[in-house]
Amino acid sequence: MQGFSFRRWSRTTFGLVTIVGIVFALTTLAIGIIAFEATHEALEQQLDHRIATETASLIDEGDDGPDGVAAAIRRREAARSTASLDFRLVDSAGRLVAGSLDAVVPDKPGYIELLPYMRDGEQRIAQSLTTLLPSGHRLLVAADRAVIDEMDASLLKLFIGAFGVMLALGVGAAWVVGIVTRNRLSRIDTTAKAIIGGDLGRRMPVTGAGDEFDRVAETLNQMLDRIAVLMDNLRQVSSDVAHDLRTPLTRLHNRLDEALATDDRDTQRQAIEAATGQSRELLDIFAALLRIAEVEGMGVKAQFREMPLSELVDSIVETYRPDAEISGHILNKSIEPDLQMVGDRRLIQQLLSNLLDNALAHTPAGTTITVALDKPGEQTRIVVADDGPGVAQEETTNLFQRFTRGQRSRTSGGHGLGLALVAAIATAHGGKLKLTSNPGFEIMVEL
Amino acid sequence: MRILIIEDDPETLSFIARGLSELGHQTVTSSDGRDGLFQATEGGFDALIVDRMLPGLDGLALVRALRAAGDTTPALMLTAIGGIADRVEGLEGGADDYLVKPFAFSELAARVQVLGRRQVAPAEPSRMAAGDIIIDLHRRSVTRAGQRVILQPREFALLAELVRNAGRVMTRTMLLERVWDFDFDPKTNIVETHLSRLRSKLNAGFETDAIETVRGAGYMIRNS
Repeated sequence: MQGFSFRRWSRTTFGLVTIVGIVFALTTLAIGIIAFEATHEALEQQLDHRIATETASLIDEGDDGPDGVAAAIRRREAARSTASLDFRLVDSAGRLVAGSLDAVVPDKPGYIELLPYMRDGEQRIAQSLTTLLPSGHRLLVAADRAVIDEMDASLLKLFIGAFGVMLALGVGAAWVVGIVTRNRLSRIDTTAKAIIGGDLGRRMPVTGAGDEFDRVAETLNQMLDRIAVLMDNLRQVSSDVAHDLRTPLTRLHNRLDEALATDDRDTQRQAIEAATGQSRELLDIFAALLRIAEVEGMGVKAQFREMPLSELVDSIVETYRPDAEISGHILNKSIEPDLQMVGDRRLIQQLLSNLLDNALAHTPAGTTITVALDKPGEQTRIVVADDGPGVAQEETTNLFQRFTRGQRSRTSGGHGLGLALVAAIATAHGGKLKLTSNPGFEIMVEL
Repeated sequence: MRILIIEDDPETLSFIARGLSELGHQTVTSSDGRDGLFQATEGGFDALIVDRMLPGLDGLALVRALRAAGDTTPALMLTAIGGIADRVEGLEGGADDYLVKPFAFSELAARVQVLGRRQVAPAEPSRMAAGDIIIDLHRRSVTRAGQRVILQPREFALLAELVRNAGRVMTRTMLLERVWDFDFDPKTNIVETHLSRLRSKLNAGFETDAIETVRGAGYMIRNS
């Protein structure tokens, strides 16, 4: 067992959401502190302002000296309301002249934020301004701080509450998200383990919610489907290879037996020559299979370069023209000029070459073979078509599989690997093949 | 020619060495990459035949090491893997030619013959002659005994390749590679068909065949 590691924990979903929750709570706290300070400061300033205004007003009203001020104080106190200010006017000796404020008047003029005073027998705190009058009297104007303290207390409650709620929500969300994530992942994990264990038909659960988990599950399922297809393919190929190699191998064996059984040099020679032919055929099948495997392996993409497709197609058609003429075929071309593509030049040559080989080998003299290249939209299309007898509809689907020979090629030889290679090359170039035979025979490569 | 053969399979090694000796070449053999590299650096060879997979040091690294040391002895690489990327890698690594196993001995012999000549004429002249045939690569014109012969572009390329290697047999595969840039063998006889057209154009009005067919091997234009 490994000990607790914060690094590891912080990377789990639970850890991440917790951290986010805590960060949110701390942010709330910081905002709270700033708001609290700002409000507190503003309230104090407001109070100072009221005191100053009141002081100025008192002095103004009593402009004939301390008596006037005293009279003004009395007028104010007579009309007092609860939220009013308290006053105390003392002479230079400190004796009370007017006002009911029960506090010691400071000697020095100026503001005092926290001035103790008595009201109704209990000590309270006030904010105050002491002003020295020209007569030597001191005027103390004070406001009770209860307003500020109450405001402070309720703000504090509010912010602590918010902080607590944020923290609780953060951690709670972390739990919920953590549990949900873990459950969803553990279902994927269980499925993956089942597949590892050999249950290859299993697929990742998809809830249908269309969320990230579903997307990952769908992608994984597509991957599994692809792997399943490849594995089936591989199984099919191995059995096909075994089956299709048996015939030439048997013939090779028979020929060599024949050579051994006779003493006649000429018969021996003929048998050995035939055996050499059989082994050549075997090697050709292997070479073709290896090439298909290589192209399907997609490693060929590393060799892809920009190439002049129109020129290349034209050149192949011209290369085949003499042979087409000799065999009595009519070879037409319709090539859109100056088309480029990214790919393997030699593989595209081989694709075209295989299609033309087929067209020449499997159609009677007088057949018209047309090679067309165009790019009507995003996709480049290469078409090799003939107006020969074509193949039966039920044959068209399997023709791109290895070792599949259509009826028309049964008599004219071939290993049934040509079109499989064409399909592999098209796929490696991100293309698709379309085969139509109705009648005639047409293969369209869309790249 | 003095030829160094580096190949670890004893059967293939003796098959190649015996065949080349019969053709009058002098052969030196090695079955290990390091030993082979050492022998090759001793110099004095007209051509090297190097297997791609060797014990000690693989064929590709061997050729790379030689080229890095400034040795330009032509090298033919043999391989059991006929992969596309593999071939490119071999040629980019400094091999001059590439032959996939299994091969017919005549194919190997023809390629070695062509390789040996490369060092002598590195720059290609624009006019080349073989016997009574003169070709001008710039003007793309051909004459036989002073008479103009009109050729299709592919036929011209085919003739140029034969004239360039006059006196040496060019196999069907070599022509496919060099003239058509095909690294595969099409079912259709394109080489034979083009050759027969080229031949009939070249031979029109002449008694002798300009292109010699070497049975079981390939085609050749004689120097004189």
